[in-house]
Amino acid sequence: MIRAPEEVTPHLPDLGDGVVLKAQVDVGGRGKAGGVLFADAKTAAETARELFSREIKGVPVKEILAEERLPIEHEYYVSITVDRSSRQPVVLFADAGGVEIEKMAEEDESAVRRVIVSPLLRDIPPFLMRELLGGAPKELAPVINSLYHVFQGKDAMLAEINPLVTTARGVYAADAKLIVDDNALARQGITVNRDLSEREREAEKHGFSYVELDGSIGVIGNGAGLTMSTLDLIEFYNGRAANFLDVGGGADQERVMHAVRLVASMPGVNVIVVNLLGGITRCDEVAKGIIAAGVAPTVIVRMAGTNEEEGRRLLAECGYRMLESMDAAVKAAMEVSP
Amino acid sequence: MIYGDKNLGVIVQNITGRQGTFHTELMNAYAREVGGRGVVAGVAPGKAGREVHGVPVYNTVREALAEHDATASVVFVPAGAAGDAVMEAAHAGIELAVVITEHIPVHDAMSAIAYAKLHDCTVIGPNCPGLLSPGECKLGIMPAHLARRGNVGVVSRSGTLTYEVVDELTRAGIGQSTVVGIGGDPVIGQTFVDVLARFDEDPHTKAVVVIGEVGGNLEEEGVRSTDLPVVTYIAGVSAPPEKRMGHAGAIIEGGEGDARSKVSRLRALEIPVASRPSEIPKLIREVL
Repeated sequence: MIRAPEEVTPHLPDLGDGVVLKAQVDVGGRGKAGGVLFADAKTAAETARELFSREIKGVPVKEILAEERLPIEHEYYVSITVDRSSRQPVVLFADAGGVEIEKMAEEDESAVRRVIVSPLLRDIPPFLMRELLGGAPKELAPVINSLYHVFQGKDAMLAEINPLVTTARGVYAADAKLIVDDNALARQGITVNRDLSEREREAEKHGFSYVELDGSIGVIGNGAGLTMSTLDLIEFYNGRAANFLDVGGGADQERVMHAVRLVASMPGVNVIVVNLLGGITRCDEVAKGIIAAGVAPTVIVRMAGTNEEEGRRLLAECGYRMLESMDAAVKAAMEVSP
Repeated sequence: MIYGDKNLGVIVQNITGRQGTFHTELMNAYAREVGGRGVVAGVAPGKAGREVHGVPVYNTVREALAEHDATASVVFVPAGAAGDAVMEAAHAGIELAVVITEHIPVHDAMSAIAYAKLHDCTVIGPNCPGLLSPGECKLGIMPAHLARRGNVGVVSRSGTLTYEVVDELTRAGIGQSTVVGIGGDPVIGQTFVDVLARFDEDPHTKAVVVIGEVGGNLEEEGVRSTDLPVVTYIAGVSAPPEKRMGHAGAIIEGGEGDARSKVSRLRALEIPVASRPSEIPKLIREVL
C-alpha cells in the first residue's frame, strides 16, 4: 500500500516485471472508471503519479495498492449475499470474472449460477458446490467455502471476489469487496469513520435517521415509512423536500425540540412539516417541544395520538397550525414555500 | 383473522423490559375489550415469580408453557439476544413468534427464521409493529383504536405508515379483517407472499392493501401470488438511490428496488397503485 508515487520504488524487486496499481477508493466499477493501471518496473512510479492525480467517480486517490501482475489463466466471479426472498444466503458464481455481474445476468441468465445455502450450515455442502462450479476447476471450492466463512463470521451483507483468478501457481482473489451489516458493526468491533457534516453528527447524536436533500420544505416524521411517504406527498404536490428526518419511537418534548432546531438550521428551509402518528405519541409533549424550539421557519403540524386536544390548544396559543391530515399539512406548507 | 382469534393464548418475551411491560398492558386492555385471552404469561430470565400487570413471569418459555396454554409469543428482547429468543420459543413449541425488536443483525435473523421453520414456528418481523385482527386479537404495538372490524386485509413493511392507512380506511368507513406489519428489515419471517397466502384462505378478507417501500422486489412477488383484489401503495418514489431512508431494508441497491420501477411494474400487472395514502380508500371501493 503506498501513499505517494515514489513509495513504490523499494517494493519493485518483489513485484517483478509486471505491476498492477489499484486506487483504494470506495466506489464500484473502479477498473472501468480508470482506477486500475498496469505498469512495468520502469514506469511504475510515473504511472502511480498519474493515478494519484486522478479522481475516480469523484473520489480523490489517496492510497494505491501495488501488486504483482498475475499470469492469469482464467477469471471467475463469486459473491455471497442475502437473498430476501428465501431469507437465506445466496452464492453467485460466473465463469467470467472482472465484469459487471448484473449486466452479465441480464444478457445471459445461464452465465450466472446461484445456490441458496441454509444459514444453519457451517459450510457450503459439496453437492451445492458441484452445482455452483459446473465445469469450473475444483480448486476453486476451498476458496469459495472460505469466502462463505468470512460472510458468516463477519456479518457480511455482501462478500465478493471479482475476479477470482486461476494461474499456473494457484488460485488468487485478485480483488474483493465486503459489506458488513450496520446492525452488527458493534459486535464486529468496527467503528465507522464517516465524513459527517455538523448537522449529520447532531442527528446521529440524537439517534435520528437523517438525510439531506435539496429542497426548501423541512420534514420531520416518526417511522421511516411515514416520513418517506411525507416526502413523496411533497413531490406529488410539486414541492421540494429539504430533508428526511425520522425521530424514531417515543417522540417526546426534548427529541422533537432538537429535531425542529436541526431542520430549521438547514439553509434555505422556510417551512417545516411535522408529521407524527402513533398510538402512544403524546401530542401535548410534541407541542411543547415545537414551542420550546422557537425557530424562525413556519412549523406546520399534523399529529395523532393521545392528548390531541391539549396539543392543539398549546400550539394554537403560540400561533402554530395543527392540521388533520398529511395532505392538508403538505398543502399548507406549499403555500409558504411554493 | 389470519394468524389467530380471541382464543389465542399469548406470551411476551422480555415482559419486564420497558416496552414489554407497557405493551403487555395495552394488549391485555384490548383483549378485555374484545373478550379475548390476551397475554397469559411472560418470560424474563432470572425474574421468575414476579408479576407484570397481573401476568405471571417465568425464567424460560418452556416453564411458561408448562403452566399456561399459549401458542404465540411477542418478542421484545433486545437486538443482540432476540434471535436466540425466537429459537427458544420455537424449540419450546410456540407456533407464532412476532418479533418487535429492531436492529437485529441480519445473520441472526436468517438463522432464527431457519431454525423456527424446522420447528414449524411462523415468524413475523423482526422490526415490525405486529398484527391486529380488529375485534379478535392484537399481538404487538399497533394502536388498536384506529382500526375497525371489516373485510379488507392490510399488509405492510412499515409501522406508522400502516397506522396512517388504517386510519384512512376507517375514516372512509372501510373496516379491516387483519392488519399485519411484516417489518422493514432485509430479512423477515413472513413476506408479502406468505401473508397474502393466508388472506387467500381467509373467508373474512375480500380485498387487500399492500403497502411497500424502496428495496427488494417482494411486493411484486406477493401481488402476483394472490387471487384477491389488491390495491398497493409504495413509499419512497422521491427517495434518491443509495441513501438509506431509515429502514435497513429500504435501500436501493445496484439500481434494483427503487419505488418508481416498482410502481411501473405493478401498473404493468394492472394492479392499482395509490399515488398517496389518502387515495387508497377510493381504490379499494373500486376493486371490492
